[in-house]
Amino acid sequence: MGRKLTFEIFRYQPLDTAATPHMQTFELEEHPSMTLFIALNQIREEQDASLQFDFCCRAGICGSCGMVINGRPGLACHTQTCDLPDHITLHPLPVFKLLGDLSVDTGTWFRNVGKRIESWIHTDKAFDPAAQEERMDNELATKIFELDRCIECGCCIAACGTARMREDFLGATAINRLARFYIDPRDNRTPADFYDLIGDDRGVFGCMGLLACDNVCPKKLPLQDQLGIMRRMVTLESVRGILPEWIRSKLQGCGCNHTAN
Amino acid sequence: MTPRSPADIRSRLDAWQALSGACLALFVCVHLILEGPEVLSPSLTDAIGWLLEATFAAQIAAPLIVLLILFHFWIAARKMPFRSGELKIFVDHSKALNDPDTWLWLVQVFTAVIILAGAFFHVYTVMTDMPISVAETTKRLHNGWLLFHVIFLPCVILHTGIGIWRLAVKFGYCSKTARETWRRRIWVGMGCYLLLGALALTRAWCQG
Repeated sequence: MGRKLTFEIFRYQPLDTAATPHMQTFELEEHPSMTLFIALNQIREEQDASLQFDFCCRAGICGSCGMVINGRPGLACHTQTCDLPDHITLHPLPVFKLLGDLSVDTGTWFRNVGKRIESWIHTDKAFDPAAQEERMDNELATKIFELDRCIECGCCIAACGTARMREDFLGATAINRLARFYIDPRDNRTPADFYDLIGDDRGVFGCMGLLACDNVCPKKLPLQDQLGIMRRMVTLESVRGILPEWIRSKLQGCGCNHTAN
Repeated sequence: MTPRSPADIRSRLDAWQALSGACLALFVCVHLILEGPEVLSPSLTDAIGWLLEATFAAQIAAPLIVLLILFHFWIAARKMPFRSGELKIFVDHSKALNDPDTWLWLVQVFTAVIILAGAFFHVYTVMTDMPISVAETTKRLHNGWLLFHVIFLPCVILHTGIGIWRLAVKFGYCSKTARETWRRRIWVGMGCYLLLGALALTRAWCQG
């Protein structure tokens, strides 16, 4: 017989004018290999059908089931109950718009930051659908793929102290997204263009290096490393004409394809 | 999107913050190293003090350092949780997340405020009580400044150590793979400096 788990779950329906935010307690018996996703489904099926939470893939791919688990953002489908104490507290991810209980709207937030950072390849080349796709060095393709692994679950944003205090901060995921275009040779944007997009306190300079984004990322993306590369590039862009060029290029050394010209 | 000019001063604040912070960190390291010989020989420290005074290095550097601290604080303050409710949000967030680096930022903020006030008093008392010597330090310590140094020294070392760590992380010089090594080295460094400072203070106190 497994442990008796106590779940304290945030309940609130913002569209219900009579509703007030509160915590509701559920009890459940733990069974082997139980994940939070399984536990929440069991609670919904057996105890309260009105419990609202998001899920889709059950395998840490879709990023839908992000929530705050005992104070730390994480994916419900990725979190086994055996790694947690008997008492489990669940809250919705902060920063994002609350839809109800544990369900939040990350999509609108990601769409907005995607527009802000112009998250698409900028090129002057006319698209020829009949032409063969341009070849890319395998190592570079892997690098780009590595940055593209973000599942947009929002955990890094929920764990970020700056994002919690300043709602206009872009956050690690958006900078990581831009870093993906920075190393993509098909994107014609120069450091000056990236500087225009993220060179202020709402962008890369807002990051305080708290590392929580890195620590909670379910996909283990090196978010802070990307923030570092982008910050260095944008900072050096901000002192163009002040710092001698040879020092600028020496400090740049980010190992990416774009040159500091 | 309206392109901003790279000459926009607001965009350079981060560079100035990093540069002034790095200069101050370097100063703190050198300052404490120069204090170190006091543990072995107070007369050696007196000789260093005499040299700094005779060359006017102390008289010129002291006000400049205070100005640099003010400048660094003024720039870094834009990130501090001064706006309504921000401090509460951040403290609640730190408690819930319980992530060491998030807590350390709060430590950095609180030590910054202490250093801002403490540095002014420290420089003022030293510069208005020349010469720079172990005897004068001992006199000040016995006149009630011991508590000040017991609080001020750890604050300076913590703020400097965390600041160096953050600089390396924020600018990508400390990558994810090297992070634990960096972290260990920074903490060992802070421990060494704290020990050095504590020994120097004890030695000066015992001279009285």
